[in-house]
Amino acid sequence: MVMRAFDLVSAETADQAVALLAEHGSEAMILAGGTDMLVDLKHDKHRPAVVVDISRAGDLKGIEITDEGLRIGALVTHTEIMKSPIVQENFPAMVHAAHTIGAVQTRNLGTLGGNLVTCVPSMDSGPTLMALDAEVAVAGPDGRRRMTLDEFFVGPRKTTLKENELLVDILIPKKNVGKPVDFLKFGLRKGQALALVNAASSFWVDWDKNAFVEPRISLGAVAPTVIRVPEAEAYLDGREITPDATAEAARLAVEAAKPISDFRASAEYRRDLIAVLTRRTLENAYDLAKAKR
Amino acid sequence: MTDVSMTVNGEERTASVPPETTLLTVLRENFFLTGSKLGCDVGDCGACTVLVDGIPVNACLMLAGQAEGRDIVTIEGLANQDGMHPLQQAFENLASLQCGFCGPGVIISAKALLEENPDPSVDDIRDALSGNLCRCTGYTKMIEAVQDAARIMRGESADEAA
Ligand SMILES: Cc1cc2nc3c(=O)[nH]c(=O)nc-3n(C[C@@H](O)[C@@H](O)[C@H](O)COP(=O)(O)OP(=O)(O)OC[C@H]3O[C@@H](n4cnc5c(N)ncnc54)[C@H](O)[C@@H]3O)c2cc1C
Ligand code: FES
Ligand code: FES
Repeated sequence: MVMRAFDLVSAETADQAVALLAEHGSEAMILAGGTDMLVDLKHDKHRPAVVVDISRAGDLKGIEITDEGLRIGALVTHTEIMKSPIVQENFPAMVHAAHTIGAVQTRNLGTLGGNLVTCVPSMDSGPTLMALDAEVAVAGPDGRRRMTLDEFFVGPRKTTLKENELLVDILIPKKNVGKPVDFLKFGLRKGQALALVNAASSFWVDWDKNAFVEPRISLGAVAPTVIRVPEAEAYLDGREITPDATAEAARLAVEAAKPISDFRASAEYRRDLIAVLTRRTLENAYDLAKAKR
Repeated sequence: MTDVSMTVNGEERTASVPPETTLLTVLRENFFLTGSKLGCDVGDCGACTVLVDGIPVNACLMLAGQAEGRDIVTIEGLANQDGMHPLQQAFENLASLQCGFCGPGVIISAKALLEENPDPSVDDIRDALSGNLCRCTGYTKMIEAVQDAARIMRGESADEAA
């Protein structure tokens, strides 16, 4: 497939990328790993006059624990997440989520930032991060702003990112570093398959009462964006951890979701998956909590 | 036009191409390395898989400009004067391919796997090849060939029962 002509400029730093976006205005688009962008360009979905390649911007890389929490640069690839000792130690669910994306070649190119900005409802990096109250930092001509993923995601392929803004990093707040979390994806194959439904659950445990503390449930591919399920979270908060409680949370999750029927699966089938994945992620997160205790 | 230069199979190569040219197109149409195949052109099939700085990627999803200064290995870089690469030899011995179109991508993916993991399990091999679609074979003989090549590369003989 032939792409329309554009100019290609390379940004070596985040600041340079922001400056290039300011210079070229609405004519410009960011290119990271290209696994969404090149497909869209080939299908003539975007017509940028200038493509700003950030794939060499070293300051957008890196995974580190800072005073604020676990910081992941927007340019970190899915493979780098899988191989990061910090992520492996604190959030095996993120390693698993990254592993479910596409196949080796795509994971080597595709970045976490690109996955979040593309903002398809079935994105596999979203639920785990949302269940951990992750925030994104974006940089524009007027400086930087931070927001939660709830605020960042607007609709299918739509975020609050403005034309002249760059996604810089993703932060899991300090208080949630090490919080037990589990992610599950159901696709039709192990490789190269988008999620019919994906889900993540996270909570701390009050061991005296064996109760849920700060529970979070997040679902993908069942609404216009990745969503949280506040009804199920409110139900679980402070409640004793029992099979009945997790079953009721799963029922509430099914009620809150608005899955559609498409060529991959019917809404009915997706509702069954929501119940099963919600329950299993809660159970697995509990097992993880017990193992960490 | 942009000038791009990169190392391809150990040689410095340069080309002057429109900025919207993919790495795959430069390899095939400017450097005449037609081993890497154009299948789907959108990241699904893996026929275009090449190593960039040792890492397997879809050459159809990378711009030539993004490969500037990088070290590229294609299927043409595997055999040398002494003969075929152990993976190529094992694929031939077991007749692992049928039409062969997926072969260059599969072998490049397998090479990347064996460099990282000299003793992969069947599941490891399946995972490493999950981005390489084959319409002919059903994969069984490819997986056996990767196991054979791994044994050879570890200095064992290919038919030592695992
Ligand atoms: C074969 C294949 C299989 C896939 N399978 C899955 C899957 O199973 N699960 C899944 O979730 N995804 C899947 N994907 C999509 C996944 O690869 C992408 O979402 C990837 O993470 C996007 O990152 P990228 O670096 O390639 O982004 P790019 O393609 O470079 O960019 C994507 C978009 O984000 C913008 N952008 C990128 N980085 C920034 C930034 N730092 N600041 C501002 N804007 C930015 C770009 O302008 C563009 O609009 C698949 C893709 C392919 C090709
Ligand atoms: S041609 Fe590149 S993945 Fe199919
Ligand atoms: S041998 Fe024909 S596609 Fe694999």
